[in-house]
Amino acid sequence: MQISTEDIPGGITRVALDGRMDIAGAAQADLKMNIVAGFAAKLLVDLRKVEFLGSMGLRSIVIPARAVRSRGGKVVLFGPNEMVQSVLKTSGIDSLLPIYHDLDAAIAALD
Amino acid sequence: MICTPAAIMPAARPSTPALRLVLTSRLEDLGLAWPWVEALADHYHIPAQTRFAIEICLEEALSNIVHHGYRGQGDRPITVDCELSGAGELVFTIEDEAPRFDPCAADESPAHASIEELKPGGQGIRLMRKFAGRVTWAPAPNGNRLTLAFALPH
Repeated sequence: MQISTEDIPGGITRVALDGRMDIAGAAQADLKMNIVAGFAAKLLVDLRKVEFLGSMGLRSIVIPARAVRSRGGKVVLFGPNEMVQSVLKTSGIDSLLPIYHDLDAAIAALD
Repeated sequence: MICTPAAIMPAARPSTPALRLVLTSRLEDLGLAWPWVEALADHYHIPAQTRFAIEICLEEALSNIVHHGYRGQGDRPITVDCELSGAGELVFTIEDEAPRFDPCAADESPAHASIEELKPGGQGIRLMRKFAGRVTWAPAPNGNRLTLAFALPH
């Protein structure tokens, strides 16, 4: 699991996840995701390179997202593949954290 | 014994392959399941979406056994058998020696109105029901026998 972050215009923090968000991947992602959640006010979680997402991986997204939202921040999910999106929808997370496949729309939603 | 892909038991009969993975109840052991599934996927020419479904169901089932069945005891047995049924399904049978729990009879976590209410866990049963073609449970002599079946394309 590779995780990278970048600041993009508009005060947005983009965190890109790359790899499998299984039990091992989630454990690798947790620390960095929680650090990002500690300062980000507008968080774009880039899922385009996530190959697998299980419930432990969901946890690694939901807990930081909840932290950002609890401070009045915004969180969007960007670019999950079809199966990853199916996991998000089955879990009902898509109704709480919006999913976008167009980057401009994702950025606009964070305004 | 822990089976790695190189140590997978050979098929008993060519027409009905039977493969077994034996794990202990440690989270780090569960990672051994993925190369095993990869070997199965290659052997049976499993499409990517079915492979994803198998992986998510096995992860949920196995992690539930470790977390909730054995409650963190790290040296308890879990066996996973795989066979191709006559109906063209790839069938995984998972046995443990944990207290009996029927996930087929359990309620799914309710839908959440806000992210503040969302419990990070509790999605495993919902995901297994969604991604497995069939989920069945039966008591085993010393615990549980969970069966997950996935239809393969003809």
